[in-house]
Amino acid sequence: MPRVQFDNIAKRYGTLAVLHDLNLTVEDGEFLVLLGPSGCGKTTLLNLLAGLIEISDGRILIGERDVTDLDPRDRGLAMVFQSYALYPTKTVAGNLRFGLAAQKLNSAEIERRVTWAAKLLQIEPLLNRKPAQLSGGQRQRVAIGRALVKRSGVLLFDEPLSNLDAKLRTEMRLEIKKLHAELGQTIVYVTHDQIEAMTMATRIAVMNGGIIQQFGTPDDIYEQPANLFVARFIGSPAMNIFEATARVSPGGAVSAGLDAVETSIDLSGYPFAARPIEGTRLSIGLRPEHFNAGGPNGAAQAAVFDLPIRHCEKAGSDATAYLEAGGQVVAVRIDPARARELKAGDRLRASFPLDRINVFDAQTGRRL
Amino acid sequence: MSSDPEIATFPASLGAAARSVRRRRRIRGSSIAVFVFLCMCAAFVAIPLYVVIVTSFKPIEEVTLGRIFALPVHWTLTPWYKAWNTLCTGLSCDGIKVGFFNSLAILFPSLVLSIGLSSVTGYALALWNVRWAGTFLFILFICAFVPFQIIMIPLIVLVSNIGLYGSVWGIALVHAILAMPLLTLIFRNFYKDIPRELINAAIMDSGNFWHIFREIVLPMSANIMIVVLILMITTVWNDYLVGLTFGGISAAPMTVILANAVVTSRGEVIHNVNMAAALLTAIPPLVVYFALGRFFVQGITAGAIKG
Amino acid sequence: MAVRWSRVAPQIALTPALVVTLVGFAWAIGWTIYMSFTRSRRFPDYTIDPADWYAQYDRLFGNDAWTTSLRNLIVLAIGSALAIVFGFILAAMVEREKFGEGVFRTIFLYPLAVSLIVTGLVWRWMFNPSLGIEAFLHQLGWTSAQFNWLATPGTAMYGIILASIWHGMGFYMALMLAGLKSINTEIWSAARLDGVGLWRLYTEIIIPMMKFTFLTCAILLSLGVVKAYDIVVAMTNGGPGTSTWTPAYFAINAYSTRSNIGFASAAATIMLLITLAIFLPLVLITAWHNRQGEASRT
Repeated sequence: MPRVQFDNIAKRYGTLAVLHDLNLTVEDGEFLVLLGPSGCGKTTLLNLLAGLIEISDGRILIGERDVTDLDPRDRGLAMVFQSYALYPTKTVAGNLRFGLAAQKLNSAEIERRVTWAAKLLQIEPLLNRKPAQLSGGQRQRVAIGRALVKRSGVLLFDEPLSNLDAKLRTEMRLEIKKLHAELGQTIVYVTHDQIEAMTMATRIAVMNGGIIQQFGTPDDIYEQPANLFVARFIGSPAMNIFEATARVSPGGAVSAGLDAVETSIDLSGYPFAARPIEGTRLSIGLRPEHFNAGGPNGAAQAAVFDLPIRHCEKAGSDATAYLEAGGQVVAVRIDPARARELKAGDRLRASFPLDRINVFDAQTGRRL
Repeated sequence: MSSDPEIATFPASLGAAARSVRRRRRIRGSSIAVFVFLCMCAAFVAIPLYVVIVTSFKPIEEVTLGRIFALPVHWTLTPWYKAWNTLCTGLSCDGIKVGFFNSLAILFPSLVLSIGLSSVTGYALALWNVRWAGTFLFILFICAFVPFQIIMIPLIVLVSNIGLYGSVWGIALVHAILAMPLLTLIFRNFYKDIPRELINAAIMDSGNFWHIFREIVLPMSANIMIVVLILMITTVWNDYLVGLTFGGISAAPMTVILANAVVTSRGEVIHNVNMAAALLTAIPPLVVYFALGRFFVQGITAGAIKG
Repeated sequence: MAVRWSRVAPQIALTPALVVTLVGFAWAIGWTIYMSFTRSRRFPDYTIDPADWYAQYDRLFGNDAWTTSLRNLIVLAIGSALAIVFGFILAAMVEREKFGEGVFRTIFLYPLAVSLIVTGLVWRWMFNPSLGIEAFLHQLGWTSAQFNWLATPGTAMYGIILASIWHGMGFYMALMLAGLKSINTEIWSAARLDGVGLWRLYTEIIIPMMKFTFLTCAILLSLGVVKAYDIVVAMTNGGPGTSTWTPAYFAINAYSTRSNIGFASAAATIMLLITLAIFLPLVLITAWHNRQGEASRT
């Protein structure tokens, strides 16, 4: 399966630069997710790869071939669209056959592939129906089938699950991941949903404003977000960010004096890539799910918080307490059983293990 | 409960009911007036057709009686027969059937040329990336309003030089040229409504301009094709000037023969035959109108509400 | 390097349309305008006398039939404008009428399917003094009735106007219906609640809301009037004398009867100028209207 390489990609609309000097390599057989909010450039990048829009600068390589000047159908790609884009006047079988007929395969081979894809996606009983007669989930499968029959090395997905309801989305996530495991194609997948990204990707490229904020495995992105944007984007509820000032003791040990709370966090064990100096403004990131609401458990070193509760959110299997910290709201994951006992105004004591802290430079947003 | 809304508004709702009864009666009165007025207008519109039909079935003696609105006492098909077979147009007396077959022979090439050319052009302008598409569309918009007279003489020169003057293909060619701006705009606006992702999928699957047109876009064009067909059939069949200018003697359409027979003939004016001839000329488009008019309206509204 | 067929193929497919536009329209218009500066008669003569380039236009505007044609153009335009008025009234009524709306619409629209030649012939027959409507009125007892408009130069044009109205009324009704249907249904409800009378509702609210539709109809009407030829041939063939000539009729006559290319070209060029004068406001107002629509959406 070919690898995909983006070299110095730039895309401009008039004077507006949507993408600027973007470099990215998708390895052979990888499931790459382009993740980011609307307008970050992820769909533009996908369309550039597909050849549906033209590059302003740079080049794209698929395998070892420079495809920058090639028409979409000459690039060896297949694409699944957000709105499925099934041909309304053709049956499901006709939809699957359409692209193959253009590739000048003989009819026996075409039928073989159509049957194979229909079986793989369990749409055999639907082959003679027209798209208007199918449900959303069924249309989605046909759209995927249409892409699979081309047996191309690279498969593109443009937010394919965003029009499905939550339950179907969960099912389809598993199916797509399974297909990738079975068929091994190189996949480039665009979404704004971090859960899709985290569950399906081998690597994620988080994008914002046309720039790749971080490129790494889901674990890397979750554990070690490269900047504030990635830190806030991944994780639900979002990471709590505390503004703080760095204090350096005469011995060189760093600690952070938080603005919102009368607490100082000992950062002497923190693996700084760039040590802050005295007075540097910091942003301290604490994920809600890493808080331990039962008090310090002794084993790991922890920062302790004792704050009043604003309100609790219970969602069946999990619960979140929202604490008041000097005008700022702090989200803390707690046990649902515990949440039943608490009410607004109660004080909650929660500790945060020091080895899960994220420290960012408050001005640049970059991880320190 | 004192706050019961029913009790609080009970008198008011009774009053509203009483008022609405009165208003309903007034509305019915005015709606009768509307209906009567519409019937009178419908009569005004229908009467000429009635007169033509009635006159065409009368023997000549009844016509000269001058009772234009009276039904025929003796219904006769003779005027029809004469109109079809022996109507005189100054040069010959071969009847209007010559014109009928000429018009038919003109119709099909005209439809094929004009719709073929315009649908492909509209498709290319709507769904493919052509840098000068916007400018071209604006120019087409202007061309749609250009009066025929300003291009008539050079077109005659052109058609003669190609050797198509006086033939049905010459007339068809001119019809295709004249219809191209408007039809292209109609097709382009219709095709513009096809979802972009559908075309993108087809570009990724096939990428071939003609293959996509034939397999995907044309099958989706049923609605607009009906609209365009009705428009063009009516335009071409009812045309006079193009047929007159480019048809010469051998390819004169029905309207030209009719006009020659009635307007420019010398000698006795035979009204029932003339009316029969006029009716024969008018019937084909009227049949299309009454049969397909429903689809015409559907086609227009379908194009408008699409999406 | 592979050819980008996705760019080349549509442009190849557009060549016939390009050729038609360049040759059939651009070149043809230019040729005719050029001819209007020459002294071509039966055959094209490409020499232009620079001192006398406006010779044909001089002749044109000194020609009585031409001034009659221009006057008739205005008369026809104003008279046919009644078709718009009737079209609106019909549309308003058809829209309110619950019973048989489809039937009425079908009836009012059928004249559009009838050729203008047939229309003209039929109305000419009805205008026949001894056998047509005048005779009918006499038989009813109204012996002094006159319905022979086509016979006198002063009234012949009115006959043509009547036939034009009969033919075009349904078309403008259809346009007005579309415009009426696009008016938010809640406006009607609001008016009923306010107790606004029917007349005020239409004159103060509905008609102003349909400004754009009225304008479109007016412009389409004017463009149709400039092209008026078939109906003139069928009803009066220009007569009596030259009293029902229109500019279109004049141009055709100059070419086919008088075999004077230069003269006909001059007439055609003036027709084009008149068309442009009507067309430009349409373009400007459409652009203004679109900008208004965008502004109200932001």
